[in-house]
Amino acid sequence: MLKPMSVVRQAIVADASDEMDGAMAEGAAAGQAKDRVKAGRRVLPIVEGVVLVAALLAPLVLQDYLTVFATRVIILALFALSFDLVWGYAGIMSFGQALFFGSAGYGVALLARDLDITNILLVLPAGTIIGLTFALLLGGFLLLGRHPSSVIFVSLGTLTGSYAADRLARGWYYLGGQNGIPSIAPMTLGGYEFTEGPSFYYLVLGILVVVYLLCRFLVRSQFGLALAGLRENEQRIAFFGYKAQHLKAIIFTIGGGVAGLAGSLYAFHEGFVWPNMVGVVVSTQVVLYVLFGGSGTLIGAVIGAVIVEGVSFWLSDNYRDIWPIILGLLLLLVILFRPLGLISFVLGERERVGSFGAAAREKRNAAP
Amino acid sequence: MANAFVAAFEILSFGAIIVLIVLGLGIIASMMGIFNFAQGEFVLLGAYVTYLAYAKGLPIWAGMVAAPFVVGALGFVLEALIIRRFYAAPIVAMLGTYALGLIIRESVRGLIGGFYLTVPEPIGGSIDIGAMHISAWRFTIIVITLLVMAGCYLLLSRTSFGLRVRATLENPSLARASGISTPLIYGATFAFGAALAGLAGALIVPVFSLFADLGLRFLIQGFVAVMVGGVGSFIGPVAGAGVIGTLSAALPWVMAPVVADVLVFVLAIVFIKFRPQGLIAGKGV
Repeated sequence: MLKPMSVVRQAIVADASDEMDGAMAEGAAAGQAKDRVKAGRRVLPIVEGVVLVAALLAPLVLQDYLTVFATRVIILALFALSFDLVWGYAGIMSFGQALFFGSAGYGVALLARDLDITNILLVLPAGTIIGLTFALLLGGFLLLGRHPSSVIFVSLGTLTGSYAADRLARGWYYLGGQNGIPSIAPMTLGGYEFTEGPSFYYLVLGILVVVYLLCRFLVRSQFGLALAGLRENEQRIAFFGYKAQHLKAIIFTIGGGVAGLAGSLYAFHEGFVWPNMVGVVVSTQVVLYVLFGGSGTLIGAVIGAVIVEGVSFWLSDNYRDIWPIILGLLLLLVILFRPLGLISFVLGERERVGSFGAAAREKRNAAP
Repeated sequence: MANAFVAAFEILSFGAIIVLIVLGLGIIASMMGIFNFAQGEFVLLGAYVTYLAYAKGLPIWAGMVAAPFVVGALGFVLEALIIRRFYAAPIVAMLGTYALGLIIRESVRGLIGGFYLTVPEPIGGSIDIGAMHISAWRFTIIVITLLVMAGCYLLLSRTSFGLRVRATLENPSLARASGISTPLIYGATFAFGAALAGLAGALIVPVFSLFADLGLRFLIQGFVAVMVGGVGSFIGPVAGAGVIGTLSAALPWVMAPVVADVLVFVLAIVFIKFRPQGLIAGKGV
């Protein structure tokens, strides 16, 4: 599957950033000195570092109730990451990402309510597996098959799935109907209980960092290269002999797993789950995060979640009623004028697409 | 017997409502290739205009007549300002129209608050046939739906405007070369689709009452209906709406409403998966 890499690399270079070709030739001509300057201009690690430091220091400066809020934001950032993998890297419009988020939330809530299982080592993997399974089933159905599915079909299919799950959760007495499942017991590790506060915050942040690094590895790997090709020109990738649909199904499933992990954390943090969590509202919320922050960069998704939630928290005291209207207007402006999101103010197209493979690695190693 | 007749009437009237809502959605999707996420909010706006007329003391039917024109005009302006930029990219169009819908929905929510506002039926009472009573207003909705359907069909198939629309749909560059102003046609088509949604909203508000999430409820059903019917023709989405509307109204009579609700969507998605071109394939009227 991973053989004709060099061909793909050429395709991506040609397709995604013509600018890159020019920049490379120019760089070769100008020699080493210019290379060094360019290496110094890599912004992505700086942005990531700043965000990480800010996140590490946040509980020290925030008041208690704000730490609780920050924990929720970090969980939502994890959720945003899952959507970014699917849309930003593979170009699959999943309008139903909340389905995996919410079903995992319901799953762990049921585990805690009916079986008294709250051990963190059991519930988090369980939530992840629930997300994976649902994503595998839905994604497998929507994406695989003899004929490739149209983009419209996949996005409407996921949207419909999420909506149907919402209706089901509302009407199903076992799942608590309209009210959902209240007062879930806290997560435990041995005798320790994770309740809202700094310990929960650092737990969630640790998980986010680990998942982020795994995703970063994934999208910079050969698999990620094939995905980037898929996003830019699916047909060409298919002509190279890749099974484009399989690649899509795999990344969709992984995205579902990450969403499931976020959903189970969310359920335990909030202490309850309710039908909205699987529904269209949350599904579109995550789309907003990623569009705002900038799809196709992992850190963009995280920043988007932080900004949207942060501003909405800040405004909701005084301008609760008009905040959604402002959100809609901002979203429209971003779509019209900044389709790559806020991150594109500091990040060039070249770095967003990234460089892959042996040549890039040598260049990186030679650069410092 | 009487029971079966009442059931049939219920199913028919709900099917008519879905057809009315899908008509505008289908025309925009088929003729312009974009799925308009703001369509539900156009329905909401139609309902809101009707309520506004009623609240100001005007006769309700005046609001109902005004609604399609107001919403259509808004649609025309939005198309010229925003939608026009989205034609090349269907996914971006979805997101953009979603943002538009969000703005409209939340504005209306701000205007009416979180209430359920009722608007009385302009034609009240019931029609009695022997021992059976059927709501006169629902019957009127069915009649109006049939008239609107026939009108749209004639407009698209018999008039020179319809010919231009179809020409633009089938081959935009050739249409331009033949002297048809395609941007104007797109604008008019979008406005027409929006006006139909406004009319639908105006007609259903006495039945469902006015609340901010009124449109959302029908949006997904509408999308599914368009996909089941088949994008690209006029008759396809109407057929899809008939099927989806009938199923959603009929299944709750034979099984638990929750199961029926979900089953309709599952059946529809499975159907589309294995027949992506929909019930009625092909372009044209």
